[in-house]
Amino acid sequence: MAEQKKVKIYSTPSCVYCKMAKEFFAQSNVEFEDVNVGVDQEAAQDMIKKSGQMGVPVIEINGQMVIGFDKERIMELLNLKK
Amino acid sequence: MLDLIIVGSSAAGAAAGIWAARRNLKFKIITIDTGGEVALSGEVSNYPGVIETNGFDLAKKFKEHLDYYKVDIQTDSDVKEIKKEGNVFIISGTQLGKNFEERSKVIVLATGSKSKHLNVPNEKEFYHKGVSYCTVCDGPLFKDKVVATIGGGNSALESAIMLSSIAKKVYLINKNPEFKGEKILIEKIKNLPNIEIINGALTQEIKGGNFVEKLVYEKEGRLNELNVEGVFIHIGMVPNSQMVPQDVRKNDLGEVEINTKCETSLLGFFAAGDVTNVPYKQIAIATGQGACAALSAISYLNSH
Repeated sequence: MAEQKKVKIYSTPSCVYCKMAKEFFAQSNVEFEDVNVGVDQEAAQDMIKKSGQMGVPVIEINGQMVIGFDKERIMELLNLKK
Repeated sequence: MLDLIIVGSSAAGAAAGIWAARRNLKFKIITIDTGGEVALSGEVSNYPGVIETNGFDLAKKFKEHLDYYKVDIQTDSDVKEIKKEGNVFIISGTQLGKNFEERSKVIVLATGSKSKHLNVPNEKEFYHKGVSYCTVCDGPLFKDKVVATIGGGNSALESAIMLSSIAKKVYLINKNPEFKGEKILIEKIKNLPNIEIINGALTQEIKGGNFVEKLVYEKEGRLNELNVEGVFIHIGMVPNSQMVPQDVRKNDLGEVEINTKCETSLLGFFAAGDVTNVPYKQIAIATGQGACAALSAISYLNSH
């Protein structure tokens, strides 16, 4: 990858789509910051404010919010090859 | 042309894939993801040989098993239609926004099921704004809030138990006079002080502004309102059978009807697991059915 974009995932430990998303990032060599909104209430509020909703995962890529494990959108934002 | 296409890759699809691989069939699996509803299950303690695991890890094991046999798995693929022209099945859909089409002599349908919706006003509008079909995913976001779980089976009971340790209060709204779930869970619920059980209650509407604020239910002919910020819906599953050819018979619930050989009403079209009318939707049953459907498919290929 030419440039490493800033990726943050708001997740809960028991959320399977969060796990799938994190595995996908790992496989695609994408570094990411994992925020557990189950314990970090401040981060949870931040996520709700930024995404306008309460479902996880929410993935922030360079300031853009992706709701759910939307692989197509994530690949697009990270310029990953389909 | 392929001998076989397996649609879906959860318990039934993975088993069918393992059996097909060991018979050296020319085949592939076309699926949205590898894991399906199995991956979304929490604790799994009734899969023989595995005393305790969780759905996500078990689904990974299924995938490892398929990879061991180098099975061709086309993921991220949403199958929209399956049709039969002459003796050939044509499968079409989209993969990450692009159209695809594949052909095969035989199909094993293993598309499973998905969460049933209540179909009440504002349910759709508040999805992920307080309405959730996955307590294990979204539950932790409702710390110290008042929430409701709707349903009376095991998954509703498990949802209420999990939420009772996170939320301030949990209303458990059950449309029937009694719960359908396991006794051990019902006893546990009765001993949790912050769960209030409301039996014989039919959810009518969800209300709110940007997020859920109220739930309206009817009981004994009267409408009642509850102040809740979360509504967790666990009222059962619906089969993912909308893509099957018209000649494949389904029951009133939309389940594909099969016989003991996993044959459907359409020659060369087999089905297995939760998408079918098999009475018990269990991982162990779905894997057995996947094996059965693959063996029937092989037998069909050998005789046609």
